[in-house]
Amino acid sequence: MKLFKIVKRDEASKLIFFLTPILAIILTLIFGALIFYFLGFKPLEALKFFFIVPINNVYGFSELLLKATPLCLIAIGLSFCFKSNNWNIGAEGQLTFGGIVSGGVALLFYGQEGFYILPIVVLAGAVGGMLYALIPAVLKTYFNTNEILVSLMLVYVSKLLLDYLVVGPWSNPEGFNFPETRQFSESARMPILFEGLRIHAGIFIALAAVIISWVVFYKTYLGFQMKVSGFSLKTAKYAGYKGKTMILLVFMISGACAGLAGVGEITGPIGQLHRMISPDYGFTAIIVAFLGRLNPIGIIFASLVVALTYLGAETAQIFLQIPKYTGQVFQGMILFFLLASDYLLFFKIKFLGMKKNELRH
Amino acid sequence: MSTNLKISNVTKIYPGCVANDNISLEFESGKIYALLGENGAGKSTLVKILSGVIMPDDGQIFLNNKVLKLNSPIDAKKNKIDMVFQHFNLFETLSVFENLIIDSNETRENLREKIKSTMEKYNFSIDLDVPVLNLSAGQKQKIEIIRCLIRSPEVLIMDEPTSVLTEQETSELFSSLKQFSEEGILIIYITHKLKEVMSICDEVAVMRKGQLVSVSKIIDEKIETLANKMVGQNLKTVKKKISKEKSKEQLIKISNLNFSSEDPFETNLKNVNFEVNRGECLGIAGISGNGQSELFQILSGEIISESNSVLFNNNPIGNLNPQQRREYLMAFSPEDRMEQAAIPQMKIFENVALNNFKSSNFFNGGLINEKKIKEHSKKILSDFSVNTDNVELKSQFLSGGNLQKLIIGRELITSPELLICFNPTWGLDVGAINYIHETLIKINEQKKSIILISTDTDELLKLSDKICVIYKGKLSKIMDAEEVTSEKLGILMGGGEIV
Repeated sequence: MKLFKIVKRDEASKLIFFLTPILAIILTLIFGALIFYFLGFKPLEALKFFFIVPINNVYGFSELLLKATPLCLIAIGLSFCFKSNNWNIGAEGQLTFGGIVSGGVALLFYGQEGFYILPIVVLAGAVGGMLYALIPAVLKTYFNTNEILVSLMLVYVSKLLLDYLVVGPWSNPEGFNFPETRQFSESARMPILFEGLRIHAGIFIALAAVIISWVVFYKTYLGFQMKVSGFSLKTAKYAGYKGKTMILLVFMISGACAGLAGVGEITGPIGQLHRMISPDYGFTAIIVAFLGRLNPIGIIFASLVVALTYLGAETAQIFLQIPKYTGQVFQGMILFFLLASDYLLFFKIKFLGMKKNELRH
Repeated sequence: MSTNLKISNVTKIYPGCVANDNISLEFESGKIYALLGENGAGKSTLVKILSGVIMPDDGQIFLNNKVLKLNSPIDAKKNKIDMVFQHFNLFETLSVFENLIIDSNETRENLREKIKSTMEKYNFSIDLDVPVLNLSAGQKQKIEIIRCLIRSPEVLIMDEPTSVLTEQETSELFSSLKQFSEEGILIIYITHKLKEVMSICDEVAVMRKGQLVSVSKIIDEKIETLANKMVGQNLKTVKKKISKEKSKEQLIKISNLNFSSEDPFETNLKNVNFEVNRGECLGIAGISGNGQSELFQILSGEIISESNSVLFNNNPIGNLNPQQRREYLMAFSPEDRMEQAAIPQMKIFENVALNNFKSSNFFNGGLINEKKIKEHSKKILSDFSVNTDNVELKSQFLSGGNLQKLIIGRELITSPELLICFNPTWGLDVGAINYIHETLIKINEQKKSIILISTDTDELLKLSDKICVIYKGKLSKIMDAEEVTSEKLGILMGGGEIV
């Protein structure tokens, strides 16, 4: 006899919609503790080093914001795509290409100072990311290609291009053949917000993106059209929305955000171009977008949680000699548990009593 | 060896719809049985129960007088019940042979022998080592059939097998089916095509709206009697609309409209011509799947055609999208309420905003004017007696009838010159049907026109001034509603000719 039965919900529960991300995080912590236990660490201590120690001082907290900034910005951009059923997986590539373009512009101004330089550099990064995202969008709309594959593969194209540039034409002439460019001039750098901390003005770009996306999603015709297309492409077609233009548009927004995240990294903490301008922020932001339920406010919180896994992994590596890739394990677990607990959105578990008419099951 | 399959009091209820209402049927091997019905009549649900895909809420299945408990398609296969689905389940890039061995645990050599002998026996000739993507639809279907045959089934269910076949392939399929049947395989043939039923089946069960309407021998039936059982309330006297003086002023004219689709599951339209005058209702009858959906999409602008093939008020509009057509005062009510005409997860007022015509000012300067949309929605809710006044309610909480009222209301509140609707009362209760019918009659009285595409003959006879029938993408001649009877429509819907 069955003890419980899976029943389809009549309506996806609103409460569960926001509770499942929290459930996913709790499950991640439990399973993370188990992993630590089997690796021979004290689970609670390891979790403390992972999630509490990194942010128990001002510097740590500012580092959290520093890492959350690109994640939040990219995830906001991705939410435009994901809300309208366009699966842009290549934000990492758009970030890299945005970084390349803005880095190139910053290098053009090498040795020059002026208030106008930073805005140009920032704009160049946004445009770079936007154009790079247009490639999968155009191929999808006009040649019916699959945007998941194209955008993903373009990540490696841009990474190899960056590789080529930093070891080849753009490498620092006085750099002893290290694979990196010259340091950008002060005017091409994001202003640092607090003396001694690395957190920079890029955070304002991210916050602006949050506000703008909230307005677009909930207050504009464009957002309405995206919402409709996300629910049903058939309905969008019936209402007469221009499907192709919309696909191009959401990819451009998404690419621009990723490009801006790239700008933030190279003009902020890094200050030059080298091979590793992003620790896979573009991929991790996909997790952030879904953990935040594609909701601008949700994304802010999600980006902080996920940024903590980056910091925690570093701290745990230093203090406990746990490989920092544990961070990725945690990110993977969050996504896994989130997707798994999404099942509860549409189904509920009904415990069966010993009712007479149910005995025959 | 003879096989006996019995369905006893099977009921399956989905939220808001009884898909199978207490169905009992009995099948014997040596005969070909047709399960006939419109889309949504419940045929698919019934055969899914037989093939173990879904479980019934109530009722039992007996195979050779033993109770059969089917928890999954594997159980059905173990009991030698096999099914060929309408949509092929093949891996296009794998070879024919690889596709056939996927769900078998016999050795490759054994299986190859078995497949070869099966193919010889039934005169199938397919190269086993070519990739499936190089094959025609008929050949792909043969692979699906072989896949069943190598398991030596006792019951073979064919779901709409001819929808993608050419005439030639269809007749080949029919002779194979007859051969299977002679060898003692029980065949259940699901279709909505009447001619096929007449030509290969021995007995026919007709379903409508989840209920079993009749079971009879083919020799006792004619195409038009079956058509009536399938679509209508069987010649119940229906009151025709009293047509008053008609205007001769032409409103919309469709000329030389052709449509050919790359999708084999869609119907091509061939040289469609008709016109509708002001204040007139043109009914387009037909059994579903004969091109109605394609025609609706061309009329609404979801499928773009040549600009001159659709003239509205003498303006060529064939190349305009639905939103642009709305500016010419056209309105559309598609067949699928839940997936196309409205979005159940969105609130009522958001669904109202889907009909965004310029003068509505729903979206000023790109911003949502929620106040305006809500006012407008309130008016629709009260004018069209939807049983709520809460515009914030999610549409999924409306019953089918109220949702349809909302949709019709949304379309009509702009006082369009022409309303194009497709099965507007499908699945509704009598009260809602009457309300929609009265509304449609009222529109005609206000000198507005209607194109009513419907699979419900009674509805068409009640509302139309002129009627034609669509069959395999072609329109019959257009007849005055007074001279049309449901018998005549039945003949035309089955592909016959009338004098």
